[in-house]
This record gives sequence, structure tokens and C-alpha cells, in this order.
Amino acid sequence: MNQPIRPNQTTLDNFAKDLNDIRAKTMKEVGQIDANHIRKMIRVQRASEITGRITMVLGFINPVLWILGVLLLALAKILDNMEIGHNVKHGQYDWMNDPNINSRNFEWDHAGDSASWKRYHNHEHHTYTNIIGKDRDFGYGLLRLSDDTRWKPKNRWQLPVFVLFSMMFQWGVAYHELAGERIFFGKRRKKSSLPITRTQLRNAFFSKGARQLFKDYVFFPLICWPVFLPVLLGNFCANMLRDLWTASVIFCGHFTENIHVFKMSECENETQGQWYYRQILGSSNITGSRWMHLLTGHLSCQVEHHLFPDIPAWRYLEISKQVQAVCKKYDIPYNTGSFTKQYFSVVKRVVTFSFPPPKIHAQAG
Amino acid sequence: MTSDNILRTGQSWLARQITNHTSFGAYFEPLIQLLLPQWRSDRLRSKIVSIRQESHDMYSLVIKPHRRWQDFTAGQHLELTVEKDGAWMSRFFTISSSPAHFKKSGLIELSIQIQEKGQITPWLSKALHAGSIVNLSQAQGEFCLSRQEEPILMIAGGSGITPFRAMLQQLSLMPNKTDNVAKTLMYYARSSEHFLFKQELRKFTEQVPSLQVHFIDSAEHGFLSAQHLERYSENFKTSHIYLCGPANMILHGRKLLTSLKVNWQQLHYEFFGPEPIDLEQSSGANSILFSRSNKQISTEESAPKTLLELAELASTNPVSGCRAGICHQCICQKKSGVVYNTKTQQYSDTGAQEIQLCISVAASDLVLEL
Ligand code: FES
Repeated sequence: MNQPIRPNQTTLDNFAKDLNDIRAKTMKEVGQIDANHIRKMIRVQRASEITGRITMVLGFINPVLWILGVLLLALAKILDNMEIGHNVKHGQYDWMNDPNINSRNFEWDHAGDSASWKRYHNHEHHTYTNIIGKDRDFGYGLLRLSDDTRWKPKNRWQLPVFVLFSMMFQWGVAYHELAGERIFFGKRRKKSSLPITRTQLRNAFFSKGARQLFKDYVFFPLICWPVFLPVLLGNFCANMLRDLWTASVIFCGHFTENIHVFKMSECENETQGQWYYRQILGSSNITGSRWMHLLTGHLSCQVEHHLFPDIPAWRYLEISKQVQAVCKKYDIPYNTGSFTKQYFSVVKRVVTFSFPPPKIHAQAG
Repeated sequence: MTSDNILRTGQSWLARQITNHTSFGAYFEPLIQLLLPQWRSDRLRSKIVSIRQESHDMYSLVIKPHRRWQDFTAGQHLELTVEKDGAWMSRFFTISSSPAHFKKSGLIELSIQIQEKGQITPWLSKALHAGSIVNLSQAQGEFCLSRQEEPILMIAGGSGITPFRAMLQQLSLMPNKTDNVAKTLMYYARSSEHFLFKQELRKFTEQVPSLQVHFIDSAEHGFLSAQHLERYSENFKTSHIYLCGPANMILHGRKLLTSLKVNWQQLHYEFFGPEPIDLEQSSGANSILFSRSNKQISTEESAPKTLLELAELASTNPVSGCRAGICHQCICQKKSGVVYNTKTQQYSDTGAQEIQLCISVAASDLVLEL
């Protein structure tokens, strides 16, 4: 996992120019077909949510229906969070001027409050991608994924922690934003203006969390009273499936074996070329079928998403060919592979760094 | 609280809880659009009946509003929303026909002047045809005739005639025999071909004896002046005066009338339509109005600042994050005006739109919802 040598500044400037050209060319085409795409996704999401909730209730006729219902509901939640929510909240569709498909108003079917998520994810994670100590998404403060983080005895258990965290990913993320904001607040810079207090933040977390619990574990089970338990259980399973899936996709995007990490000192006064370069080295793609890409919300094109976070995501597939060509031209590594390959390499990374680095004794001595 | 209100609050609370949307309508909107294209939960889906060319640069849309569209008063305007290349575009237009006409036929008319460099007005008349769908808001606005006994003076500039056409049509369709209050319309246009609704306005004077209409060609007779006022409306000092037209005409008229000691309470005016986009002209200092906090700030030509910096200077407490156009936290609704986006290097549209404050600079006077 050697850090490749950073190309010189002229190369990076040309590299940035080529990427900017791709961006400009794509942005020009954005229009009706993007609006049609996102509306279609929302329709599929609505249809699977509604039929999912109904078929789950019919599980008393045949348990297969219950399973089908759970899968449909999980599908709806995955689409809502990934292809719709994540992308809408990145402002990819703000140009539509649609009050419901808009980064300011969109609220997703997820424990994390939208505004907090946006505040944290769009800003810190996308600006400081993979900078140790700055991008708290790198390991979520739970996992040690690089020798730049000091080894602690608790890291021995990080494989089971990783599995558990994946299963409760939505709550993990929701809590993470809350805690993150606190830290952010502690060292709040004079210039940055977050017109929100800690209490407001905490309230946002609790009210959104409560709403999600109410919906899936009180409201829907109750209105289906005779089948209260199966519905409650079904909703729980659907949530968990969604959590497992989204966690896996996100881990494959940033924690694979060949991902690079950076120090804050390397990134001060970055030029645009250097920024692009860091985004590419800090992300990895997943190959797969069209459905697979949709289900990941096109985070399977994590590299392109980090380069151009506000281009409608379904265009990343097309763009990725161009980005790969540009990378090849400048001899810049581009990380991609099948889902199994990438996931396996994440697990490998989690296991590798659960052990102390071999040199630790020498340093201590 | 009425029971209707309680029901509505309860509904939207429930919608929030179980759909994460502000209303069930918003949640089902994309599905309903399958059956009813362009349906919007917060708008009234209405049909274009016909499009009539009024002059070379003005046309009227004849619209059959949705049945939930309520009544209006002559002189009011509404917001028209259409989809263009996947984006909703909204503009305010005055209703140029009368409530009496609406009652009779179920139709309203919007008379629209083509803005040469505009994105919407030149496109709209080509994109729409009989049977097309547009979305309407309810009518709004205060620019309506008061019921007082004082005489009325109306001053129209160019396409600013539209609200007056509605008011006068109303008077002609609902004539009040005992109504002797003097009504005068002074209608300015830049040449004799530019007078709109000429036949119709003449017809109104026949139907309403107390009405006088003067067509004034400003190329020949000049702009509104004290002499004009004396000549066409000797009792203007005691009249309620209604002004509608381009911004500079209203500013000029307001100044003139106050210098002639006309009481403020008697003055009513409406800035008509978006000002034409003229970027060369507006490169100087612009003023930015923050509509929620009701604060105002001006840009300086010598030291250009982003709207985010200006909003912070005006202490309107804007949200921000990356300050580089990445995170979209600084998104804010621009009510009107043109901004230049430094990232895409493009000028915006003139109407209501979401913009990123940190990468936008003012290219005209702006109203921001902050
Ligand atoms: S502050 Fe991040 S996009 Fe404007």
C-alpha cells in the first residue's frame, strides 16, 4: 500500500483541465432526461414501498408473501436512501426547481436527520476525503483502517464490531453526525457559521429517530393489528437489509485495500488538480450490472461521485469511461473491481489493522 | 381552530411521520403525474384553451383554470409554472381579463410581453398550444381599484396596460348606471403601433360613460409630465392614482406626483414584469434585499463579493459549509434578479430559483429569501 508519487504540478494542472472538460460537457446535457430518470426512480420506490407493506401483511396467507414484502420494503428503503436521497441531497437535481426533489427539503427514510447528514457528509467528508483526523467517515471512529491511526487494544475486536456496525448502519450514521457536530462545535472556527445550537442538533436527532421508530415499529404494526408482530418483525428485517447493503457499498467505496490516506499537511492550499488527485486515490469503484449500480445509488462509481458530486449520478457510468481514459493518460491509479473482490479487500483491511503494526515496539523503545 | 383546520394539521402531521413528506400529495405526486402529467400537489393544474397574438411582441394565453382555482379581483396577478427541459419555471403575470368574464366563460387571460433576452416569455408561446397544461397559483396582489367615491386616474406604460384592461373590462361588463365617478386612463406607448387592446378600450368608453381613455404616443408627446396631467385629468390632485408600467416609469411618476403635492395615500403602483436583462448596464452597484430578515445591502463594484459574504455582512446568518460550491448547504431561494454562477460560469434566469450563495455573485438587483 505504498503511496504513489504525486505527479508534478503541470501534469496535475492538465489533469484538472481534462476533468473540468468532462464536467462541462456533461453538465450541458443535463435536462429533461435526468428529470425523467429521478421521477421514474421515485415511482419505483413508491410502488415497492406500497406493495411491500401490503404483501407483508398478507403473510398470514402464506409466509412466502411475508418474505416478498420484506424484500420489497427493503428495496424501497434502499432506493430512497441511495439513488434518490443521497443524490438529491447532493444537489444533483436542484436545477429542477422541484420543491420535493431538492437538497434543501428532501427528508429520507433513514434515522439520520437530513440536514445534519448534509452538514456533515457533503461538507467534511467530501472536502476532506480520507484525510486522517479530518474525514471522520474514515473508519467512523470505530475502525482502525490505517497505520496512521494509533493501535488500541480494543481494535482486536474490530471484525465483530464491523459486522454489528453494518447491521445497524443507519443508527451508526445518525449518531456519528451528532457526535461529529459536537466535535466540530468544540473547535468551531470563527468564520464558519452554523446557525444551529447543540440542543437543536440533539433535538433534530431525537425527533427524526423517534419518527422513524414510530413509523416502522408503532404505526404500521398497529394499523395492521391482528398481524402486529409479523409486521413489526418484517419492518425490522427490511431496515436491517437496507443497513447491511448501504454499509457494504460505502465501505467498498472508501475502505478497500488500495485506498490511500492523506495527512492534513499534504492537503493545505491544495490546487484543484491535487484535490481531484486525492479524490481519485481515496475512492474505489465497483463493477456490475445496471441494477447493481442503481441499488448503490451509483456509489459504485465512487470515484466519479467524489470528482463531481453534483452531476446526476446515473451519468457516472458514462463519465467513468472518460475518467479512466484521463487517468491512464496521466498514469494515475484508478481503483475498480467486482463487488466480491472489493468487499473481500475491505474485510482484509479491517482484519489487517486490527493487529498492532509490527514496528510499534521499535518505536516504543 | 375550525374542524377543517384540525383535519388539515392532523393530515400533514401524519404525512410527515409516515412518508417524510410535507403532505400525502407530495408523496404521491410522481405517481399521480403518470396519469396527469405535470400535476403538482401545491399548484392548480390548468388547461390552455388558445393563444392569441396581440401584437408582434405580446400574446395572450387563454386559460381554463382548475376548478379549485378561486375567484380574483381585477388587477391581481398569479404565478404561472411550466416545465422546461425538466425544470419548473415560474413567472408572475397579471390577469388581463375580468372576474365578470371569468364568471361567464370560466376562462381567464394572461397577456404576456416577450422579453427579448428572456428565457421564458419568447419560448412559452411556441412551447404551448391549445390543450397544453400549465400550473397556476391562486390570484394575489393588492393592485385593485378601491371602492371610494373619489375620481380615478390610471396611468399605464407599455405592457403595464394589462391590469387596467382587466379593471375596465370588469366595469364594462358590470355597468353601474348610477356610477358617475370620473375615470381616466392615460396610456403611454412608444409609438402608435404599440397600443394594445385599442379597439376594446375604445368600446369600453362607449359602454361606460364616466370613462375617458387617452392614447399618448410618447415618441411624439414625451413622457408623463405636469402638463399632461393638467391636460388629461384636471382633478388629478383629488384622484386615486394607479400607476403600472416599467420600473423607471413608476419611479419617475412617483417623483413627479409627490412634487405636485399628491398625497401618498392616493398613490397605488405596481412594478410590471421582470426588468429586461441588461447585464452591461447593471455591472455597477446592485442592491440585495433579504426578504425574511428585511435587510438590505449594496454590492461594491470595486470589491466584488459572493452573495454568501454579503449575506454574512448583512448578518442574515446564512448557512454555509465548504464555501466552494461542493456541499450545497448554502442553498437559498432567489426570489428575483440575475446572479452569475462562478463555478458554471453562467448567468441565471430572472425568476425564482435555488442558488448556491457561496459561488454566486449579483448581476442585477436581487431579492433573496434569507
Ligand atoms: S457553502 Fe458549500 S456549496 Fe456553498
